[in-house]
Amino acid sequence: MKYIIYILLSFNLLTFTISAEETRQVDKHEHGVGELNIAVEGSTIEFEFMIPGADIVGFEYVAKNDEDIAKINQALKTFDDYTNIFTLPSNSLCELNGQKVALKEEDEHDEHGDEHDEHDDHNEHDEHGDEHDEHDEHDEHDEHVDHDEHDGHDEHAEENHNEFYAKYSFECGNINAIKEVNFPYFATFTNSGELEVQFISNMGSTSFEVEGDEPLINTDGKI
Amino acid sequence: MLLKLTFNSLYARLLTVAMTVFAISLSLMLYMSVEKLRTSAYTSFTDTISQTDLIVGARTSSVQLLLYSVFRIGNATNNITWESYEDVINKKEVAWSVPISLGDSHRGFRVMGTNSEFFKRYKFRGGQSIELEQGKNLDDLYDVIIGAGVAEKLNYSVGTPLIVSHGLQSFSDHDDQPFKVSGILAKTGTPVDNTVIVSLEAIEAIHVDWSTGAKIPGQITPVEEIRQMDLSPKNITAALIGVNSKLQIFQLQRWINEYPEESLSSILPGVALQELWRIVGVVENLLLGISVTVIFTTLIGMTAIIFSSLNERRREMAIWRAMGASPKVVIGLLMLEAFIISVMSIIVSTVMLFLTLYVLQPWIDNTYGILVNIEMLSFKDIYIFMLFIIAASLVSLIPAIRAYWFSINDGMTIKI
Repeated sequence: MKYIIYILLSFNLLTFTISAEETRQVDKHEHGVGELNIAVEGSTIEFEFMIPGADIVGFEYVAKNDEDIAKINQALKTFDDYTNIFTLPSNSLCELNGQKVALKEEDEHDEHGDEHDEHDDHNEHDEHGDEHDEHDEHDEHDEHVDHDEHDGHDEHAEENHNEFYAKYSFECGNINAIKEVNFPYFATFTNSGELEVQFISNMGSTSFEVEGDEPLINTDGKI
Repeated sequence: MLLKLTFNSLYARLLTVAMTVFAISLSLMLYMSVEKLRTSAYTSFTDTISQTDLIVGARTSSVQLLLYSVFRIGNATNNITWESYEDVINKKEVAWSVPISLGDSHRGFRVMGTNSEFFKRYKFRGGQSIELEQGKNLDDLYDVIIGAGVAEKLNYSVGTPLIVSHGLQSFSDHDDQPFKVSGILAKTGTPVDNTVIVSLEAIEAIHVDWSTGAKIPGQITPVEEIRQMDLSPKNITAALIGVNSKLQIFQLQRWINEYPEESLSSILPGVALQELWRIVGVVENLLLGISVTVIFTTLIGMTAIIFSSLNERRREMAIWRAMGASPKVVIGLLMLEAFIISVMSIIVSTVMLFLTLYVLQPWIDNTYGILVNIEMLSFKDIYIFMLFIIAASLVSLIPAIRAYWFSINDGMTIKI
């Protein structure tokens, strides 16, 4: 067994090197892969979705025109009703008692924030001031991004990522009746890829990969 | 009557039939043992760690972090500083934590530095705790607690002195600071059995005269002096963490993964195990595929043997016909033959499987740390057996139909 794992591990390391950029950085962002965290404690179950904008509305640049804005608003509205995203068995008697839906834009300011943090790591306080100057320059630069004819536009559009964040919290009368969770999500958003699910309850943690061809997870015996 | 006839007919060809039964039994056994190992390996792995919510280590892949922190396979890419560890455990979400420091070994067994929390918090197999079988806890700086496997293989008992080696496969020993066994843990069936446990301070102590992985030449700090030193750990390899509420776990995980001062990774052990199993699953399916192919091959082999015996048995069939057996009975006889062969194979393979498991179980446990449970046949096994019997009977239809034509054409006179 151990040897099998060694062999597999070498493959594994290979794949991880390839996908390192998407999965091992602080700002994980992979188009076509939405993340879902499910946590169960007592009679409470929480769902937390983090889905790349590309999977929902098909673009991730800052909304340019009315059409884009309408798309985003429409998507946010869709998230407002959780039954568009997932459904719980009715006999689990779960009632929604809290939800938060937002579009998280990874704007230039955030990126600079990260840069600052990196510099903090190295304690390069002296250089810090210089960085600020650069920072300002960048900000100026950003203003131009809105102009279509700007050369740097494409580059910036690529760098610009955003994600839809939605969190739903339920109180359930019979939480053990949640033997499966269905995901109309895949039908609702045609651009959607797979969902990577991290799941934890008092029974321990596990993971699922959900795709459109079988849009459900089996939680029987896991709650 | 028909059954007796078939039995006698089979008995008359004992050697060929026995060989066929043996071949089929072996292939069935192959399939069942692959299946058995697969399920046992999975339970062994998932049983290794329970009730730990997060494992924190340096930035790495989740599978690697799980493997080195829990299974002691492979090595850490980096250690994490004690300051970062403290920042993490001071978060309000954290209920308890166990620091782990790895990197040294003793005669091929990994040495793990930790604190008393480990014995309280590390759980396996659905919440069982590790227990001391002999001796006492780590009281002195140079005390070690060894797992049951270490004690057994090195024949150590409480009080045995031992030297920790630097690194995993090196010839440099920390021989200036000998340890002594203070306790032996009860067998757990987890990698803890093969671990030498010392305190975090001891890990610091043995590295006092070491700098960047090598011993500083000519420098030997006396043990008495080391005991007076501040030996609070400066870095650890990983930490096991429990949270107050499962609802806070993902928030904490995100916080750790985005911790700006140091690149950290935090994983949910079950999630990483699933990830690992998805990779192992490829090989599993391969093995399963091979054993299913072997079963098919033997089925075809059985048909071939029945086929080749048909010519020799044309006289036998002519006698059956003379005795009043209809051609349909001839088909029935041959199918019954296949049925009996497959049932006998199943019985033989099951007996062989249990004998093999019984003999190999301790060896598999010791060598690979996988405890194979010898238990009754599962519902799935019986289902597979049924499928096999049906497949065998169906396959035997081919020679049976041929025999049917033979017996119609030949009648009682054989034209060979």
